[in-house]
Amino acid sequence: MTTETSLKRATEILAPFSKGNANPETNRLDVDIEASDLPAATSALMRNQWGYLSAITPTDLGKEMNKLEVIYHFCEGAAITSLRIHLPREDQPDIPSISDQIPVASFFERELGEMLGVHVVGTPDSSRLFLPDDWPDRVYPLREDFSVEQAAPVVPRATLPEIGRVGNKFTVPIGPQHPALKEPGHFEFSVDGEIITGARMRLGYVHRGIEKATEKRNWIQNLYLLERICGICSHTHTSAYAMGVEKLAQVEVPRRAQAIREIIAGLERIHSHLLWLGVAAHEAGFDTLFMYSWRDRETVMDLLETLTGNRVNYSIIVLGGVKHDIAAEHSRSIHTALDYLEERIRYYLHIVTTDASFLQRTRGIGTMTLEEARHFGALGPTARASGLERDVRIDAPYGAYHYFPVSLITGENGDLEARFEVRMKELLVTCFTIRTLVDNLPPGELAVRFPRKIPAGETISRVEAPRGEAFYYIKSGGGESPLRIKIRTPSLCNWTSVLNKAVGHQLADVPMLIAGMDPCFSCNDRMITVRRKNDLQTFSWSQIREYGIRKYAAVRELK
Amino acid sequence: MRIGSMYKDIVKSFFSPPVTENYPLEKPKTAERFRGRLHFDPTKCSGCNLCSKDCPANALEIIILDRAAKRFVARYNIDRCAYCGQCIQSCRFKCITMPGDDWELAALTTEKFTAYYGKDDDVASLMDKLTNPAPVPLPEG
Amino acid sequence: MNIISSLISLMFFPAGISLILSGMLYEWADRKLVARFQNRIGPRWFQPLADTIKLLSKEEIKPHGVNNLLFYGLPIVALSGALTAALYTPVIGLTPTYSFQGDLIVALYLLSLLTMCTGLAGWNGASRFSIIGATRSLTQLFAYEAPFLLALLGPAMAAGTWMIKDVSTYAESHWMFISQPVGFVVALIGLMGKLELPPFDAPEAETEIVAGALTEYSGRGLALFHIGKSVELVVAISLVTAFYLGGIGNPLVFLLKTLIILLFMSTLQSMLTRLRIDQTVGIWWRFGALLALLQILVIVLLKGWLS
Repeated sequence: MTTETSLKRATEILAPFSKGNANPETNRLDVDIEASDLPAATSALMRNQWGYLSAITPTDLGKEMNKLEVIYHFCEGAAITSLRIHLPREDQPDIPSISDQIPVASFFERELGEMLGVHVVGTPDSSRLFLPDDWPDRVYPLREDFSVEQAAPVVPRATLPEIGRVGNKFTVPIGPQHPALKEPGHFEFSVDGEIITGARMRLGYVHRGIEKATEKRNWIQNLYLLERICGICSHTHTSAYAMGVEKLAQVEVPRRAQAIREIIAGLERIHSHLLWLGVAAHEAGFDTLFMYSWRDRETVMDLLETLTGNRVNYSIIVLGGVKHDIAAEHSRSIHTALDYLEERIRYYLHIVTTDASFLQRTRGIGTMTLEEARHFGALGPTARASGLERDVRIDAPYGAYHYFPVSLITGENGDLEARFEVRMKELLVTCFTIRTLVDNLPPGELAVRFPRKIPAGETISRVEAPRGEAFYYIKSGGGESPLRIKIRTPSLCNWTSVLNKAVGHQLADVPMLIAGMDPCFSCNDRMITVRRKNDLQTFSWSQIREYGIRKYAAVRELK
Repeated sequence: MRIGSMYKDIVKSFFSPPVTENYPLEKPKTAERFRGRLHFDPTKCSGCNLCSKDCPANALEIIILDRAAKRFVARYNIDRCAYCGQCIQSCRFKCITMPGDDWELAALTTEKFTAYYGKDDDVASLMDKLTNPAPVPLPEG
Repeated sequence: MNIISSLISLMFFPAGISLILSGMLYEWADRKLVARFQNRIGPRWFQPLADTIKLLSKEEIKPHGVNNLLFYGLPIVALSGALTAALYTPVIGLTPTYSFQGDLIVALYLLSLLTMCTGLAGWNGASRFSIIGATRSLTQLFAYEAPFLLALLGPAMAAGTWMIKDVSTYAESHWMFISQPVGFVVALIGLMGKLELPPFDAPEAETEIVAGALTEYSGRGLALFHIGKSVELVVAISLVTAFYLGGIGNPLVFLLKTLIILLFMSTLQSMLTRLRIDQTVGIWWRFGALLALLQILVIVLLKGWLS
């Protein structure tokens, strides 16, 4: 189905609810609806199997327009339908929840509630997602009149919410400090012996306030700010941002630059998947595989250093093109490195599919059927391992993927072993793509002139990060800084599947389940500024003991 | 299904030297494009300040002592710099380079992290101005 | 004279300080081997000694609400169990200091005392992770103890005695790893279970339950448990070597044989993933126990047929 037919179908489906339609870009349809029509519109789209919910963008339109805007983005292939809802600009206006139809929406609605101050009626979980416990009530960071001084910390609540209140079961906290987690996040699993009976999670521990920070920096500075959202998906964030801004400025990037961007994206995918392989093996207790895959990762990092100037956070993209070229000697070193890497990747694929002790930990664990993957809104290799064919590079090709496409890799069983297999096979495809690109680099310039002021408008760009689809909504007001940037990273969508699948498995499987979806906590937490003037809460040693004793006293009562 | 699929690697590694680099006894060779500490050439600078406007970390500032006589001093914060290289792109006169061999920047005190680049007498006069500010004229009457 | 020589053998040689030091050497050898298998450099020879000294000098933090006696006493009991077991086993290839009929059972019991103290310490620790670690520790104890005991019983039955010294003397002339191969394999794998080495290290799975039963320990208590584990390493390896690989004899040759067993264990460590606790128990009770029983049956039949 082409993009036009998809959009036409969406227009028909949403005709009963629409207050006004618009086509801001060739692949986008904007439909204004009333807040009360939202559940009906969503169920109409779901009934007709039109796409999946990709992101929810909360925006404050400002005092002049005196409205709040919430946009629900649904994506099918390259077509994007956005349901726009306007709410009065008061404290906690109502909007109905759609979590009963789309489970992943509960994460987005938590974010909506705490960041914009919208009351989502009927959402199953309205606790805080990103903001800390001691954030003052009624202070909404995404509102226009938010200032840093308002975020003075209140007296911290001494007990963690809902510890041990899940019936009579034992609660095991994993995080924020835990050897299994490479980045902080908080999971609470209630266990009965070794079997898990319930799961909750909290994010926001590496919350740095990036979305609001982009509004104060000019378009060029934001390139580097957004790159540092994450260490291993950095290139995809810059790509998505640059693509969006170039669309707004109506600048066409030369083909050579697009090809170089795709080469670096492929190398980043190799980097990311090798890192993930090591981390997942370490979680399983297979330290040898961890050491060897990270040793081979050094090859790809050295290659990236030769090509771009840095091992992590490559900074090769500028608005309008790329910074560095790939010359003949570089293509020779790329081929040599890829020869070595391909051999090692094939070896790792062989190991994860045949090693008996490793298969004991991965085969048949965390099985997610195709229907469940679709229902939970899974993205990336986690979804593809269940057979769900979702890959932005193929559904909605961007950049050089129009001329140098990749093939889709899916798995069948949907268990952990399938996820390992899918990622390793993806890498083999990526190596082939990189070789083709390097041998057939189109001639041309590296970068074109780019205006400093971007014309007003909004745009949506999606790229396929190593973990899934990254969604960028960029709104410009015609100035030197963006008005609003909304970033939805893939890891946020995959948490629902992990939490639901964890119930019924053993505690020992939990680190593998979490690692199986390749979580990137830094990608998750980027919402609103947390830089407070006096945010140093220094505890003396005895104070920390006091705090800990009070906390554990609550647990002891449970025993 | 086999037990111990990694035996080949294990046996091979037992008889070969480890891959760990013995830093600081052996220093690794960085790539040519690697972005190390910033170097500024004041002779080509025109004082447009585009580099400092575009710096995402506010690490670079061109202090204009005398625009007509082309006396510029760059104040560079080594600790704030993100080593992204945008200043190199923004500068039209190629005053800025980030050579790949100057990357051992750790220091025990923070004074070393603010560097001033310029012609020697320019830097000297700036230092003089900073340490001995011009006296504020007393109000009349 | 007797008392003084007893004291010397208890405190300095072959038990006591020299045992602790040789435990650290064995631990170093294990870590170095695993590192080399993973293409790394590995620690220098004095690393375990430095670790122990550092732990002994750190502050000991007692969690609130634990039983004082158990908290401070359990590490001491665990270490003394391991050290006492050394008195009956031929460590470093010398004849055991003390022997009596039935000391095989006593020595094995003293080695299990270490695991039981770990389990009790975990329960006492009262944090989520230590309780789960203690449960896993004791579950694993129930799993491997029977097959391991049976595997060591095989040579004892062949020698017709319950005294370790006599079994070792018998083993010098009869190389039992050839005559009882199944028992040898079970003993080796049981050794890895006893020492909680990967793939049987579910009780101290770092990525699941932080540090298992010993999560709440720090400083001196942790140092004593740590030393106890390395002493257990030496004692258990010596026992298996003495029984299966040709008894005592030349101390240097004995050392070499123990190092060969250590090499084998390090190789297995690097090649396998950590098993879940239910998979560990499943393997032991299905394969381990059956194989060991089979071996005992064969020995009984052979002995009856030969005599």
